[in-house]
Amino acid sequence: MRAKRLTGSLACLVVLTLTAAGCGLSGGGSGDGDATAGGCKVDEGNVGSGKLTGDVKGTITFQTTNLKKDFGDFFNGVIADFEKAHAGTKVKWIDDPGDNTFTSRTVADAQACTLADVINVNAPTATALTKAGYLLDVGTKDPDASKPFVSSFWKSATFKNADGKAIHTTLPWYTGGVVLTYNKDLLAKAGIDPAKPPTSIFGLFADYEKVAKAGDGKFYATMANPVWRIPADFDQMGIKVLSSDGKSAVFGDDPRTTQWVEWMAKLYKAGAMPKDSLSSSNDPSTLYSQGKVAYGSTNPSFVRFVKQNSPSVYDKTAVGQQPYDALGVASAGAPQYISVAATSKNAPTALSFAEFLTNAENQTAWCKDPAVVIFPTTTESLSDPFFQNVTGSDPFSQARKLVADQLKTASTNQTNLSPAVQNAIVAQVQLAMQGKKSAADAVKDAQEKANELLKQAG
Amino acid sequence: MTVTAQITKPVPVPGTETSVPGPAPSRLRALLPGPAAGANGAAMYRRWWLPWLWTAPAIVCAVVFGVFPFLNTVLLSFTDAKPLGGAASFVGIDNYTRMLDDSDFWLATRNSILYAVVVVPLMVLLPLMLAVLVEKNLPGIGFFRSAFYTPVLASSVVVGLSWQWLLADDGLVNTWLEKAHLIRSAIPFLSDSWLILLSAMGLTLWKGLGWYMVFYLAALGNVPKELHEAAQMDGAGAVRRFWHITIPGVRQAMMLVGTLTGIGSLRVFTEIYMLGSSTGGPGGADRTLPFYIRDVGLDPITGNAGYGSAVSVALFALTLGLTLLAQRLTKEDES
Repeated sequence: MRAKRLTGSLACLVVLTLTAAGCGLSGGGSGDGDATAGGCKVDEGNVGSGKLTGDVKGTITFQTTNLKKDFGDFFNGVIADFEKAHAGTKVKWIDDPGDNTFTSRTVADAQACTLADVINVNAPTATALTKAGYLLDVGTKDPDASKPFVSSFWKSATFKNADGKAIHTTLPWYTGGVVLTYNKDLLAKAGIDPAKPPTSIFGLFADYEKVAKAGDGKFYATMANPVWRIPADFDQMGIKVLSSDGKSAVFGDDPRTTQWVEWMAKLYKAGAMPKDSLSSSNDPSTLYSQGKVAYGSTNPSFVRFVKQNSPSVYDKTAVGQQPYDALGVASAGAPQYISVAATSKNAPTALSFAEFLTNAENQTAWCKDPAVVIFPTTTESLSDPFFQNVTGSDPFSQARKLVADQLKTASTNQTNLSPAVQNAIVAQVQLAMQGKKSAADAVKDAQEKANELLKQAG
Repeated sequence: MTVTAQITKPVPVPGTETSVPGPAPSRLRALLPGPAAGANGAAMYRRWWLPWLWTAPAIVCAVVFGVFPFLNTVLLSFTDAKPLGGAASFVGIDNYTRMLDDSDFWLATRNSILYAVVVVPLMVLLPLMLAVLVEKNLPGIGFFRSAFYTPVLASSVVVGLSWQWLLADDGLVNTWLEKAHLIRSAIPFLSDSWLILLSAMGLTLWKGLGWYMVFYLAALGNVPKELHEAAQMDGAGAVRRFWHITIPGVRQAMMLVGTLTGIGSLRVFTEIYMLGSSTGGPGGADRTLPFYIRDVGLDPITGNAGYGSAVSVALFALTLGLTLLAQRLTKEDES
């Protein structure tokens, strides 16, 4: 009987141990070699201040995010061209599904020292990997790396290392562009002239208020969840979100932040946004396509989505300039990036392939693919007639022309907030929108919560 | 009236020839490695290391994937380790004292406990009732068994999206209620933090019903039909038979379901994420402990794996506490 109880208790302990292990965390390893990147032992040439030298040969891995299905032929062609130009090289292409666990999984790969040699990353992932030292400083390792790119995009490819120093650990790749998309009919019902888009965020909010009055619950201006607007609106308005070293939140020090939250609360209460979208992960795509939301997503590919999925709404769709606000120029947001792992065993080959992939020729070729609505980040590509001589007056053509015109001078200023900090700020704004706390208190609490997280990050 | 069941079966004794079904003993020995048949063959079964050999793969798996990560988590909870590695310093019990002063931690703990308190009893009883309903071999009953089991097969994300659609302000549930003149304005299932939590519990129940129904179907198969027949002849109604025959007959299964559901409820994440988005409901009010661990411990940029580990250990302690409580209650019930 005693033995039976013991066995039962042990089995119970094992089950619980497995349960706890499921929620466990790892602290990462540490290397003991002379040259390390993150916690991994690496070739000395991959770190430090010298230019990267070495033969372009050997096998490397190249990781994209959910591109194989639609663009397999294109990338296989790029890989074949590279291998042909550099005899003795082999590029193994892997394609990550790119879900919301991408950053976590990529971080896990980095900790295990198995990061792909060349990897497509977004800004949050690049921020995390740069801080931990897992990415090659391409700006140092190839001083000419910046040459092909539009200067603002090259500037956006800067991330802070563990010491808080900004370094170029990524090469700009493609960008989606930013445009204002709207339903002309719904704007007309609200008495808004579609030909005169607002020039400031608060001007746009004023239009939202008009839509709320006209819609009266039948249609809305936009979606409520502030996650779609933070930190983009703050960046657009010139509100500084983080301190220069990125170690503390300062957005609450700007009185316009409180005004912004007051506007959001007012608009939510007035019915400018569906009530159930306050903490919903749905963007405006579905409701816009049903003609229930006046303002759509702010990227040209969304216009094509509407064209394909809701022709009747597409006929009522127009595009305009997203408010410049304090930026003074159009905003392009952060592009997608290509990075080279500092842990690469064939770093010269990996860097060479990364530069080959992002060169003007390959960027132009991919952006011309009819299956995609993206824009290049190299100066030469943007001068291509394909982007400069856009014909057609339909909304989709107009969106492409508008973005292509903007990109050479557009701002790519974007604050890289960690998902946890973004959620902490968004949560407080949601409470203000529900009327559970004042805008001033929400901003104060949001800044405190953000600072707690930034402080624990060190 | 009380009807008790006494089931007696021959108990097989390991190592004895009469208890081994299948091939004749001599043929069985021929299939096994080791000495030839005879006294030495019997001795082979008593070698001390043999049980360890058979259980070694399971023990290795448990140590590598369970015990080691758990001990590592406990160790990390006394450090300021970061998710991306790097140097970690020993911080003593700082993470635990921080946890005690952290209102977000207590909110997440309350939500997790509430989740377990509501979900566990319902998950123990509802699948049992469902199993009783579909137990009988009636024409077309297979369809209902399959229908109840279908949510188990669907991915949590798909189920979550379906529930979003059902519970939206202009979704199916609100539309029906409005058409039936039961409500005047939409019930804010997806914007009120309490209703999001309740909706998530409903989602967990709906998705788990079919799974535990199968558990109970297997358990119900072991309840002798004669007892029901005898009780029926003595005039016991359906409800009385359910309480006095069915429930005692499946008590062990109920305890198992209760324990598994309790552990699952304390670990819930997907349901909250699907209905409350990345913040865990408006203002983060619906965050459970695993959700909170993700926010404070796993964020690759601002996460603190040390603090996250401390919260993980607290979750473990909570799970252990509830499990031991369930065991104690079971023992008292049995005695």
